[in-house]
Amino acid sequence: MIGLLLDVATTAAILFVVAAGLLITFGVLKIINFAHGGFLTVGGYAALVVTQAGGSPWLAAPAAFVAGVVLGAAVERVIVRPLYSRPLDAILATWGLGIVIVQLITLAFGRGTNFVPSPVSGAVAAFGTDYSAWRLIMLVVAVLLAAALAALLQGTRLGLEARAVIMNEELAQGLGIDSTRVRFVTFALGAGLAAFAGALITPLLSVDPLMGVPWLLNAFMLVLVSGTSLASLGLASLLLGGAQVVISTYGNPVLGALSIVVLAAVLLRIRPAGFARG
Amino acid sequence: MARTPLLRGGVAVAIAAALVLAAPLALDQYAISILIRSFLFGAIAVTVDILWGYCGVLSFGQATYFGIGAYAFGLAVTQIGLSPGVALGALAAGCAVSALVAWLIAWLGFGPRVTPLYISVITLVEAVIFVQLIYSGGDFTGSSSGLSGFDTFDVSMEGWFRIAGLFLLAAVVLGAILVRSDAGRLLVAIRENEQRCRYCGIATARVKGVLLAGAAVIAALAGYAYAGYTDVIAPDLGNFQFGTELVIWVALGGRGTLYGPAAAAVLIDYASAYLGGTLPFIWQLIVGLVFIVVIVLMPQGIGPAVASLARRRPRAVAPPALATVADAEVGGDAAKPAIAVAGLSRHYGSLRVLDGIDFTARAGELVSLVGPNGAGKTTLIRCLSDGAERSGGSVAIEGTPIGRAAPEACVRLGLGRKFQAPNVFETLTVADALRIARARQERLSPWRRAQSIALPAAARLVLQATGLEDALATEVRHLSHGAKQALELAMVLAMQPRVLLLDEPTAGLTKGERTLIGGILTDLVRRHGLCILLVEHDLEFVREISSRIIVLHQGRILLDGSVAEVTGSELVRSIYTGTPEPAAA
Amino acid sequence: MKRATLGVLAATALVAAGAGVPARAADQTAKIGIPVGLSGANSVVAPSVVQAAQLAAAEINAHGGILGRKVELAVADDGSGADGAVKAFTSLIFQDHVNAIITMETSAARNAGLPVVARGKVPFIYTSYYEGRSCSPYLFVDAWVPDQQVASIVDYFMKEKGAKTFFLAGSDYAFGRGMLEYTRKYITAHGGKVLDEEYLPMDASDWTSVISKIRADKPDALITSTAGGAPNVTLTKQLRAAGVKVLFGNLAVDEGTAKAIGADAAGVYISQSYLTTIDSPENKAFIAGLDKMFGDKVKTPNDLSEPEYDGIYLYKAAVEKAHSFDTKAVLAALPHVSFTGARGAITMDHQHHAPLTMYLGQVQPDGSVKVIKTFPHVDPGNQCPKLKS
Repeated sequence: MIGLLLDVATTAAILFVVAAGLLITFGVLKIINFAHGGFLTVGGYAALVVTQAGGSPWLAAPAAFVAGVVLGAAVERVIVRPLYSRPLDAILATWGLGIVIVQLITLAFGRGTNFVPSPVSGAVAAFGTDYSAWRLIMLVVAVLLAAALAALLQGTRLGLEARAVIMNEELAQGLGIDSTRVRFVTFALGAGLAAFAGALITPLLSVDPLMGVPWLLNAFMLVLVSGTSLASLGLASLLLGGAQVVISTYGNPVLGALSIVVLAAVLLRIRPAGFARG
Repeated sequence: MARTPLLRGGVAVAIAAALVLAAPLALDQYAISILIRSFLFGAIAVTVDILWGYCGVLSFGQATYFGIGAYAFGLAVTQIGLSPGVALGALAAGCAVSALVAWLIAWLGFGPRVTPLYISVITLVEAVIFVQLIYSGGDFTGSSSGLSGFDTFDVSMEGWFRIAGLFLLAAVVLGAILVRSDAGRLLVAIRENEQRCRYCGIATARVKGVLLAGAAVIAALAGYAYAGYTDVIAPDLGNFQFGTELVIWVALGGRGTLYGPAAAAVLIDYASAYLGGTLPFIWQLIVGLVFIVVIVLMPQGIGPAVASLARRRPRAVAPPALATVADAEVGGDAAKPAIAVAGLSRHYGSLRVLDGIDFTARAGELVSLVGPNGAGKTTLIRCLSDGAERSGGSVAIEGTPIGRAAPEACVRLGLGRKFQAPNVFETLTVADALRIARARQERLSPWRRAQSIALPAAARLVLQATGLEDALATEVRHLSHGAKQALELAMVLAMQPRVLLLDEPTAGLTKGERTLIGGILTDLVRRHGLCILLVEHDLEFVREISSRIIVLHQGRILLDGSVAEVTGSELVRSIYTGTPEPAAA
Repeated sequence: MKRATLGVLAATALVAAGAGVPARAADQTAKIGIPVGLSGANSVVAPSVVQAAQLAAAEINAHGGILGRKVELAVADDGSGADGAVKAFTSLIFQDHVNAIITMETSAARNAGLPVVARGKVPFIYTSYYEGRSCSPYLFVDAWVPDQQVASIVDYFMKEKGAKTFFLAGSDYAFGRGMLEYTRKYITAHGGKVLDEEYLPMDASDWTSVISKIRADKPDALITSTAGGAPNVTLTKQLRAAGVKVLFGNLAVDEGTAKAIGADAAGVYISQSYLTTIDSPENKAFIAGLDKMFGDKVKTPNDLSEPEYDGIYLYKAAVEKAHSFDTKAVLAALPHVSFTGARGAITMDHQHHAPLTMYLGQVQPDGSVKVIKTFPHVDPGNQCPKLKS
């Protein structure tokens, strides 16, 4: 039972970390970034490069974050900004970008699976059972990340401006907020968080050009049911991720793997606002 | 439509058909074999274009229906064996399952108030589930290996080429007929402004559902033919990668053109057979890059860009003639109030926008709703015309409670609503917009253009008064703000409502036009027994035409009385002088 | 609009006509078609397969070719799937007019290619291990099937390690299910017990629930058969991270992947018909030949690439026995020819399949594979009872 609870909590934590970048981009820019999977992959490869160059595995995630921010900034400037007035086209363009990122990584690193050493390995005794040390660390990371993002949104000028843009962009512009800058910073930050997450999941996964794909759809659905709220995302990750773990464990893992997308789809039909208040 | 374009079209189709039939004589086996699949893919690209380019429904699921059609054939023949009965049964089953799945997807994806993006995500999910189901099917579906080597039709490669070629041609021609018909204009109208369509009484979710199901059946037919030709079924025929490839082809070829996506699908698939085999990664990289460049710089796609070099301006379409329909014997059931509101409230969280609203309005009354900005006037109009809007209380139109009914259902009760800001179809012509408004009275043909539009006299009067009658062939986006207002009013009147909700119908019009429209409105009330609820800021105008005035203040009814009572009220004057505002906000 | 449609059709016809006049090169060379997954799931292993084929072709050409004709290879990407395979097979058979198809592919690609092969009437030597029971008069297989591989691991676990209870986990696709279904039957038939059999979608990367079940079931041994590449890695990593230390046999990991996983894979048992560590003159010559030909670009040979090398030599032997490239004659000769390569002597005389020597190995902490036991001449069993030889 403790094992199951830990499975649920850590699965939710991983989902939260993976989807957080997508959520803030969606909140401010009102577009779903289909290149999110590509950014995750970039993060995984950043971790690979750092560790292969002899860097500590602990440095992998911060380095990936920086790489993601730089890439995201460039992408926002070149691809997303010109499509400001055409949100659906912006989504399609990020889709194309996802394809391009995967192909470029394939050309640069080959198609094989790669391995990034884990900062910690094996299981530790926790709550009366042996449990994967890295998954427990992910739990801590998720909580810290949520706290940091909340502090950023609530406690800084940028956060205030971002919240204003999320609520009502026209009004925010009317109040003299430079929404172009807010969008730019947010997209870069979202990409950075995606890459950060990509590096963080490498101890559990292989690093290969398609590593982002399985996460993409789940992250979309979580964001769609969460609207623009971090708290909702946390709740959605916990409930839907929990459903995935429970269905996989007591039912069929194939159904379990589909449970997030299916439950989210039905939920959105019944309650379009999802877990967000409204 | 004139005789010549029709004739020209017929000749072009005949030549294309002749080319398809003759081409196998000139092509080698390899080219034939590749083009068969390219043609089938082209046909699905056409359906993606109709869904996305015309109706605005971006679906990644067309590949899934292709897969369903293919599996219907492959599974039936593998399990039962090939006979004409089995082949036909499999065809019917493939089409039926596809249509049913599409209907389910439409139910999920076109629900009330879901974001337009949702249907795209749902179709992605659909493709993922399809593949997982096939994987889990074990020996029955062949899992990831698929099934192959089953008996199939005894048709030569040339035969398949002709079948596939004619199938593509049929898809393009039928698609072209559909999108140029009145129903085709409706698809564009839904893409442009779905809300307005619903307030024209059109159940847009149903229209999109039918379209999705129809597109699914065509994709299933293509899949069926593909399985029959290749003798192979496998999960990658229905996965979302294929679904996205279709979308990419449509975007590159030019959405909303039909020929562009068809040509892009055929050319890109054909080219990738030659180039993709030797340079798969570079090829995908190039396709991805070109896709981004086209989306950013050439949103209309390559097809129209090329075509605009070669062609002159599109032919101007002659505007249809206007006719007048006899005014329906309106007035309804005089015994029941036209609008009956009891205890209506609307709140957003803890913010109460409307509270305890009670009033009735009868046929033959012109009730004006006045009050300062933020009093809740527009919210009240919204609550009367969309059952999902109010938080509490009841609304009945001509004695029928609206319950939680959607706008299109409210409209069917005899309601017409004009929005505050002009709410029209920017890329349609004035004539098309009026025809959409009349869709409930005169069915929109899916295969031809009506030659004339019959409008009630009141709508024609508005058109005449504002000069719109001479601008029937003009696209709405070229109209002035005032003309758009008048067009929307004419559209609402064209629907021949018995209860009319008008939110600032004359804002942006000249003084003369206002007077004229005021006359039309009072005439509708007095002579035809309509009930009109009017939101207005111009108290002068209100005084001239109203039979009753309701004053709304801070979400409550402050006063409900005759014109004299209200205009004489000290209370009303204090509110208005306390919060002065311009006459036409 | 219609005019534009017409223009496109005309342009298409022109392109098609221009591109569609290949020279009939088949009269001068022995052309071998290799549809292979340069992209998609097989893209990791495909380059090593192509290298093995190139080595065989170069060696044969250096010794006078086949019946005096030079061997020419035509490689086409099949995208590791059915759809791409139809394209690739069609292009090779109808455009390049190859004499034979000799390749390693996914089962989906093989199945999709078979009808094209039947239409084009060319011999098809399949050089990938697979889930078994694919039968066609044109198809010959020189790699292992479950009947040959599973026994070695299960027997070893039961007899030498005393394992009685087993947990089976795999990816939900034809190979994964095929292997584990055979394994379950084999274990049950030999008195063992299968506690659970779990599958995850092919691209799934989160094995949490499966690992929880393994921890709860406490089996004596775990046998897995996942999709190649990533799922192998993620499962192994997550098992180790969860501290699961159970007897672990992996039916689907190759030597190269095991090596790359490194320490996390240590202790895992694998069973293959080819390992780089096989101590035979043929294997030494094979590896030396690859090193010489490709230098620092060489891909480590493996159980999917070496059979490609054998396959081309088996085709050569059959043509020479038949004294003809004629498909019928070659097909008649194929069951009766033998070639001794790095895996030993191979003859595809068991219903178009070949008895093979299987090696049970264990991954060492440095990633190398140590051979624990050798099972010579393992019979493929009844794969295609309807085929005569």
